[in-house]
Amino acid sequence: MRGNLDGIRVLDLAGEPGHFAGKLLGDLGADVVKIEPPAGDPIRRRGPFWGHADDPERSLAWLAYNTSKRSITLDLEKPRGRDIFLDLVGRADVVLETHAPGALATLGLGWTDLQRKNPRVILCSLTPWGQTGPYAGWRGSDLTAIAMSGNLHCTGDPDRAPVRCSLPVAYYHASIEAALAVTFALVAREQSGRGQHLDVAMQAAMVMPNMATGSMFRMNGNRGARSGASFRQPKSVQREIWPCKDGWVSFALRGGPARIPGLVAMVKLMDEHGMASEKLKATDWTTYNHNLLTQAEVDELSTEFGAFFASKTMTELFQAAVERNLMLAPANTAREIDASEQLAFREFFVEVQNPGRGRLRYPGPFAKIAAPSNPTTVGIRRPAPQLGEHTAEVLAEVGVSDAMLAELHAAHVC
Amino acid sequence: MDIFAGTTILEMGAGAAGPVATRYFADCGATVIRIESRARPDFLRTLRLTPNTPGGLDAAEHFAVLNVNKLSCALNLSKPEGVAVAKRLALWADALAENFAPGAMKKWGLDYATLVKERPDLVMISTCLNGATGPHRFYPGFGGQGSALSGFNHLTGWPDRAPLGPYGTITDSLSPRFSALLVASALLHRRRTGEGQHIDLSQVEGGIVCLSEALVTFAANREVLGRAGNRDRHTVPHGVFRCRDAADGRERWIAIAVHDDADWKKLVAAMGNPAWAADASLASTAGRLARVGEVECHLDGWTRTHDARPLAERLQRAGVDAAPVLDLGDLHEDPQLAHRRHFRPVDHPVLGRHPAEMSAIAFSDTPADIRKAAPKLGEHTRHVLRDLLGMSADEYDALEQKGVLA
Repeated sequence: MRGNLDGIRVLDLAGEPGHFAGKLLGDLGADVVKIEPPAGDPIRRRGPFWGHADDPERSLAWLAYNTSKRSITLDLEKPRGRDIFLDLVGRADVVLETHAPGALATLGLGWTDLQRKNPRVILCSLTPWGQTGPYAGWRGSDLTAIAMSGNLHCTGDPDRAPVRCSLPVAYYHASIEAALAVTFALVAREQSGRGQHLDVAMQAAMVMPNMATGSMFRMNGNRGARSGASFRQPKSVQREIWPCKDGWVSFALRGGPARIPGLVAMVKLMDEHGMASEKLKATDWTTYNHNLLTQAEVDELSTEFGAFFASKTMTELFQAAVERNLMLAPANTAREIDASEQLAFREFFVEVQNPGRGRLRYPGPFAKIAAPSNPTTVGIRRPAPQLGEHTAEVLAEVGVSDAMLAELHAAHVC
Repeated sequence: MDIFAGTTILEMGAGAAGPVATRYFADCGATVIRIESRARPDFLRTLRLTPNTPGGLDAAEHFAVLNVNKLSCALNLSKPEGVAVAKRLALWADALAENFAPGAMKKWGLDYATLVKERPDLVMISTCLNGATGPHRFYPGFGGQGSALSGFNHLTGWPDRAPLGPYGTITDSLSPRFSALLVASALLHRRRTGEGQHIDLSQVEGGIVCLSEALVTFAANREVLGRAGNRDRHTVPHGVFRCRDAADGRERWIAIAVHDDADWKKLVAAMGNPAWAADASLASTAGRLARVGEVECHLDGWTRTHDARPLAERLQRAGVDAAPVLDLGDLHEDPQLAHRRHFRPVDHPVLGRHPAEMSAIAFSDTPADIRKAAPKLGEHTRHVLRDLLGMSADEYDALEQKGVLA
């Protein structure tokens, strides 16, 4: 299996917020060595657990985001652990970390220490707020980073608190940003011959998902607002997530000229089921502009569309949508995603063999690559490692013999 | 030295996902050329367009913010001469990024299989909702559909209410990041091996890979994770609480995330040790999980008597993870974003001075920056074709007369 990042060695010190970053680099072919404290990454002790057995090798949050990595244990707070780490840095291309700003420097492993050891190394630091600035010393996590990005303010029902996604999207966003920052720095190093320090902030990473509306405040004064399952237009509020017989579907009245064929096809489908009024059928779609609709007009359309959706299941609506290009989508749960015929055709899911625990079905590559011949691939290289599974083989590279390793284990250095 | 100085990226397509991806390169010095046409303008240029919009297609705020640092070359692809010029640009550029529906590029003979015959080391990325193959490949969609299909909607919102998409159609913001990562890795790979490649990025698949925990949990235990408001299944309190309204009447909220029992102790002390929190059974996570509603209710009663930002600052001083909920206007007054110069001003010919956003990356050695406003449609057609591509004046004039360059 060849990869775009073959030959790149990453030392991964990241905690939960950056787990996905190392996985992405590993999925592209980099040799990612996860460095865990001897007690293991804290996420290993967090459930839910595979088969509900409270076991650090069965934490699903660990298993989900640490594939394509090897694992070694090393206590960086002990001088011997620190020295071994610096030896590894001498042979590495990238160090990825999520410590509080300054914490690594306190251990003698700050940017200047790493640079002195290896001027070609790239240090990527992923933190909630950034390495410097008035809030650099603040604590932060998914919820608080999103709170400070404008994105939380705009997500939720108008009559309740702003609300987040129940899985940590700030970690995913910032991790992809960190992986791309590393890749950009690898390109830069091809010319400059030297590494650099990349300061990636989760708060800043969550501003982009507002899709320009943060900047647009200066032009339109719009502070954003929660509109629930609806979208706020200049003249109206338009529903975009609709109840159906067994769940929810997404369907929008907006989208400019590209949206019109889907609306026309939807009315035709409704008519075939005897659920389109004469007035709806008589709509002149050539002059339709969602920006100009009044709330009364929107409500009238919504009543008809909503009644139709309520009479059908997610599967029925999505099948019709795919056949007729209705631009409608079901609000899938893991169950529907697992059963998707599109994903099955693309062989998206992969079975990963986990030693001693069996096979587990995973989402596979985040992209597919084609080339004239022998293309590189994106995707899971190896199962999520067991704690310290690769300590001996990795430390052997920096001259740690079996005897020395036994000594290091005894001293709880690894 | 800019990372991508001397690198040219050709961008074809519309909407937000494609343009945001190439922005990363443009901000790092790449020459990013958008191929556009008045015959079928980018829907971002028409999002709020009414017949009376001053400046027309060049006045779209959305487009302006997302497309700074780029060039616009007008080419009418409904004319064969327009397609021929696009092909020359595609073969000349260092990378080609497109986000049309599958099939569109093939129709023009601009698909990877055709182009690679003339340029074996071509680097090209195609991004669409469901990917370039499979029974749903032609299924058109905007980000709203991507968010629903990949599972984000189901996981966002309150358990007793309709699902919601995270604001801003999340697959539109995840996919540009994946795209920039993939293209940069492909350019690095070509530099080291001489090999090109075609990247097929499905927005839905990228989103699902992000949500691996939900999929792996289903595969392992047949458990379907659902939306839980702001609660965390491992810790309490973890939520967003009402604060005193702003002077102008706007609602104010604070996010508070207690991660363990030590955090809880700090929070209780910061609240001034109220009687309700002294209950010994609340000292453990298990105890708080059992009485989550009660804890949240008490906390909400306390936060309502405070202003959000000073309260967050006070909690942070006490070592508690807390932050005010900022609205889109507040972002411009946030000292941390200001310190990073996250918003930087640029002068637009129609809209005047406006801010645009940087990425979340501060590079120590090769800083990115915003250098010029988003292009007017076709603003750089002559520059791109004559100066960069080296087209003769005669050919250019002939194309212009035929209406190809519009």
